[in-house]
Amino acid sequence: MLGPMGRLAPLREYAAALAAAALVSVVIGAIEARTHVANISMLYLVAVLGAATRLGRGPAIVASITSFLAFNWFFVEPTHTLSVGDPQEWFALVLFLVTALITSQLAADQRDRAREAADRARDASLMFEIARVLGEPDLDVALAAVTESLRKGLDVAGVMVELDDDTRAHRTSAGDVKALERPDIGALAAWIPSARSATGARARWIRVLSPHGSSSSSTRDERVQAVPLQTEGRRIGTLALVRPSPRPRSADDRILTAVATQLAGAIERSRLRQRATDAEILRRADELKSALLGAVSHDLRTPLASIVASAGSLRQTDVQWTAAERESFLSDIESEARRLSRIVSNLLDLSRMESGTLHPDRSWYDLAALIDDVVGRLRPLTQGHRVEVRVPEDLPPVSLDYVEIDQVLSNLLENATRHTRPGTAIVISAAIDGPEVIVEVSDDGPGVPKDALDRVFEPFFRGSSGGSPRGTGLGLAVARGLVEAHGGRISVRNRPEGGAVFRFTLPLEHAARARAAATRS
Amino acid sequence: MSPATGARILLVDDEPAIVRAVRANLGSRGFRVDVAESGREALERVELHPDLILLDLGLPDLDGLDLIRTLRGRGRAPIIVLSARGAERDKVRALDLGADDYLTKPFGVEELLARIRVALRHTLRSATDEPVFRARGLTVDIEHRRVTVDGEELHLTPTEYALLTALVRHADRVVTDAMLLHEVWGPEYGDEDHYLHVYVARLRKKLERDPQKPRYIATEPGIGYRLLTEEA
Repeated sequence: MLGPMGRLAPLREYAAALAAAALVSVVIGAIEARTHVANISMLYLVAVLGAATRLGRGPAIVASITSFLAFNWFFVEPTHTLSVGDPQEWFALVLFLVTALITSQLAADQRDRAREAADRARDASLMFEIARVLGEPDLDVALAAVTESLRKGLDVAGVMVELDDDTRAHRTSAGDVKALERPDIGALAAWIPSARSATGARARWIRVLSPHGSSSSSTRDERVQAVPLQTEGRRIGTLALVRPSPRPRSADDRILTAVATQLAGAIERSRLRQRATDAEILRRADELKSALLGAVSHDLRTPLASIVASAGSLRQTDVQWTAAERESFLSDIESEARRLSRIVSNLLDLSRMESGTLHPDRSWYDLAALIDDVVGRLRPLTQGHRVEVRVPEDLPPVSLDYVEIDQVLSNLLENATRHTRPGTAIVISAAIDGPEVIVEVSDDGPGVPKDALDRVFEPFFRGSSGGSPRGTGLGLAVARGLVEAHGGRISVRNRPEGGAVFRFTLPLEHAARARAAATRS
Repeated sequence: MSPATGARILLVDDEPAIVRAVRANLGSRGFRVDVAESGREALERVELHPDLILLDLGLPDLDGLDLIRTLRGRGRAPIIVLSARGAERDKVRALDLGADDYLTKPFGVEELLARIRVALRHTLRSATDEPVFRARGLTVDIEHRRVTVDGEELHLTPTEYALLTALVRHADRVVTDAMLLHEVWGPEYGDEDHYLHVYVARLRKKLERDPQKPRYIATEPGIGYRLLTEEA
């Protein structure tokens, strides 16, 4: 007989049922040798019940019939035959068989119900787990977590989600998915609505072989099960799994269908979100463009005007310039041109940042060395100030893009020299604070006006005081963009005793790993 | 510090103002300057066997990196790459393809002359490899594996010593991260690329008296390092 799962229990379970009946026969034999017990055949029911609850319906029936035969053979006169002398004994034997069969079926029913309940509980907790991991905003991370939960929850060899994108198939997998590594896994799955699917009450999926596949045995991999992901009738991908052996459990259909629906919804939401983000980027790029035009007209014109004026003066033939005057025109041309070059660099950085094409090229660096390098390089600019560096000896290596963090620090240092009087101190310090490193540039200047504290990092923002000549309004915005691209934060505060403190953080996420590797080599 | 008078320099650039300025400056110092305004022209002019090539990476007709590959196949004249800031990755690729040095536009005349001097000197010196390297108080005695700064012996780890000798071999020229890794750990370096800069920082700590004014090892942001033999 077939069990409710539509499959035969393996031979091992039948053998166990036979062994249970044999064991009871031995026990009964031992008891009978000493004393006679009425209805001792009932002892066989223990074996039947055990087989029904432990092994299932089929083995229980085998146990019932074996018990019936064994009792007849060994203990009913005449023994060692299947014939029965006493008709009353006959009646008792048949009654025993009927009782055993009914008991076994009742127990097996109970077992099936318990198993189904366990399956449902598993499905429910799996669904909950999947709903939870799908809450992750990064789709790739969410898909990786879903495949892993499914692999564990369904106890299968491998799980794969394939998204049919406009350009290429995108796959996320967990476990062993070798059986799925073929270009047309999507062709394995098809959605066949059953008669009741119009009401949404029930749907089922079937396996479909690839177009050229029915003859080839490799495509008929019975361990593979695939279900399409759809939203609004449009196919967006495939969920496929590989079982350790080719025995599908129909109970999994329900959960697979449910997971597919949930997944499709999450993927669609993520794509909508992406589209909204793209629109937002476009809008911000537009805003930047207008701000840029404003800046170009002002910031670029000032140095250009002084270059043109100086060069024009030098060309005058009717004036005799002294050597000192000529030198001052020439140095004006050079310094203004360099200033233009800095502005253009910052503009370039800013546009790369805003277009989202800024990807830090990270490597491990000694932050103290970087700070020393920047301070050394900017010495001509900071000549009038006392620059002090306070970095602890045991600062671990930090993962960063050297050029970009160099630029952040340079911009902060430049900003500090611009807004403070010569002779004052500028302190650069670094320290570890939990999972990040903090770098601060503090000065003894007038500090940042209260109303400007929130806005100094905006592109083209300049203090209203007008006391800060030569600002491009870009340095701090660039610094913020670069720090954020590193996963850090930048902020400014005024010290109660006066002076501004610009602070940025860089995550130390893998510092421990770096240290371990550094000591290893 | 007189330049190799009469050295033939091929300038590959299509910017008239730059061409004018470079030609005037180099010409007045005794160099013979050839100009190519495109990659095609450069390939023709290189047949004249220049002693040094100044190459702008942004050419109208050919990809600058491809051109370097071709030029390297035609001779050993040092190549100095001219390129804009922000194109660090291109510069690194150019150097790894065999360019000898680079200059970031806009550059000053002094910078240009210094780079040319170093590159020309190197073509001459590479033949005579001295066992002891000396520069401003730093000596590296390859034979005895001894490093001293101002007469004081330094104790370097094997990695630090290998890094220093690699920099010495390219003295005054830029060495990219990939070149350093290759020279110190061989072609199959593994995790080291992550810690290269940390190793260099440790070496500098032992070598330099004033870390903010490094005398010997200069950082070239985003490119690599340079061992300085002259006062900057």
